[in-house]
Amino acid sequence: MTRTPLQSLILYAVVILTLGLILFPVYWLLVTALSTTDKLYALPPKFWPVDPHWDIFARVWEAKPILQWLTNSLIAAVGSVALSMLVSVSAGYALSRYSMRGGAAMGMFVLTAKMLPATLLVIPLFSIFAKAGMIGSLWTLVIAHSTLIIPFATWMLKGYFDTIPKELEQAAMVDGCSPLGAMVRVVLPIATPGLAATALYAFVLSWADYAYARTFLVNAPDNWTANLGITTMQGEYVTYWNDISAAAIFVAIPIIVIYLFLERYLVGGLTAGAEK
Amino acid sequence: MTHIPTRRRRRIFDLARPSRQHILGYILIAPAVIMVALIILWPLMLALDLSLQRVKIPRLGTARKPFTLDNYEWLFQSTEFWMACWITLKLVIVVSICCLVVGMATALLVNQRFRGRRLARLGMALPWAVPEIIAVVIFAWMFDSSFGLFGWVAVKLGIADHMIPWVSSPAAAFWAVAITMVWKGFPFVSIMVLAGLQSIPSDYYAAAKVDGAGALQRFRWITVPLLMPVLGVTMVLTTLWVFRDFSIIKVLTQGGPLRSTQTLSIMTYDQAFQYQNYGRAAAVGIVTLVICIIASVLMLGRRAKSIY
Repeated sequence: MTRTPLQSLILYAVVILTLGLILFPVYWLLVTALSTTDKLYALPPKFWPVDPHWDIFARVWEAKPILQWLTNSLIAAVGSVALSMLVSVSAGYALSRYSMRGGAAMGMFVLTAKMLPATLLVIPLFSIFAKAGMIGSLWTLVIAHSTLIIPFATWMLKGYFDTIPKELEQAAMVDGCSPLGAMVRVVLPIATPGLAATALYAFVLSWADYAYARTFLVNAPDNWTANLGITTMQGEYVTYWNDISAAAIFVAIPIIVIYLFLERYLVGGLTAGAEK
Repeated sequence: MTHIPTRRRRRIFDLARPSRQHILGYILIAPAVIMVALIILWPLMLALDLSLQRVKIPRLGTARKPFTLDNYEWLFQSTEFWMACWITLKLVIVVSICCLVVGMATALLVNQRFRGRRLARLGMALPWAVPEIIAVVIFAWMFDSSFGLFGWVAVKLGIADHMIPWVSSPAAAFWAVAITMVWKGFPFVSIMVLAGLQSIPSDYYAAAKVDGAGALQRFRWITVPLLMPVLGVTMVLTTLWVFRDFSIIKVLTQGGPLRSTQTLSIMTYDQAFQYQNYGRAAAVGIVTLVICIIASVLMLGRRAKSIY
């Protein structure tokens, strides 16, 4: 299909305008972080940073334990992703390869688990963790995030395993491989992109959590995750928007970098179930 | 003389035998089932049980309080609950429709062929990658009642004659929440629709063109029907997301002012962790879950399977 120059021009104009609108809030975050307080609290707003103070990043990094918050988020994410993948990979494989009684029931269950409001589950989990004396520990997040990850990861992985032909394992088994060996040595290596996509998506899910962190960790500042830490910077009377914006940039960067470089995997996982 | 293969040594638990293979299946799935039972089903049962007792702060291991339907009676009689239902419904409808329209439009736009299309796609879906809390930080400042950008723009455009107190006026707070959610939520629709668009064979369009169908007709009779399955699933997932969302509302408005942005999700949480009414909170949560299930089944109908 060819376009006239005018049509191309209109297309580019629309694309640039739309992109500008969509990305403006992200740009605004950066401008806010770089503005000095007197420039910030003034109307009309400045649309580009007039004499930007780049030292804000160093200052906020010093003033708030951002590295610790990020480390805590990382621990919770890696822990819950590892725990979930451990059980989800084998379960997804089993659901894909063996027809089992209760397979359909499992499916219905996953569907329900996707609808489970975190605000409901957080109530019994809180009393369980309180009883176990775990409130304030990062383990609570590892477990709570697994409740989000396991159902969806199992189903996503089942989808990936379904795309790998059964004949591969049958061939391996004819050559003397045990069924388990066929799974570990033949199927899993082929499914690596799928495994990576699932794990990445799970990581993003865990990183985004706020409800569980707020409930279980609010009185344990040493274990605050990045999201929880950021919200504590919102003051009751005065909020320093440039400080909080700078901190927000630190927290958003890991996920945005993952997104920009590994978008293919993330989106692949997201849409895997869509085209059926 | 030909070599006669010796019989394979019989193992007691030979999982390679076809008749035994399903056992391996059960073994492989067992850890996940146990985990799910332990960290989802058991807590869910506990919540259901809590909702049927008059209990303020539960202590696990202590004797169960007598069975009662009090919490549900309180729930259905309280105006707060019905108001939360209404706000949830309004928010779900407004946000889902806006996400659908914006997501669809952006997907169609970046599905065009042009230089830099890959970059445009990345940019278009970027808000999806921004954590909800960060999105709230951005929008909370833009909705600031003294120096926020949105208020200033509204004044400049003549929509308002003074800065809008977004977070302290009930009507404005609702829109502040909705706008934040749409910004965060539309890229998901966009990503899904784009995937759907790419799976439509281009022959269909070529054939329709030969038959003289215009761009609008091609959209109406090819794109829309073929996107329907994807759209159905996407809309259910978006609806569920709005329904259950906690962090955006909690951090932006805390459900206020005057409970004008208190959805069922926020009500569940606040009953438990603000008012220490765990029994009531569990009841609200259980009702929310039931509504979610009924709504999804109604929306998906026979296609319910495609969601998982």
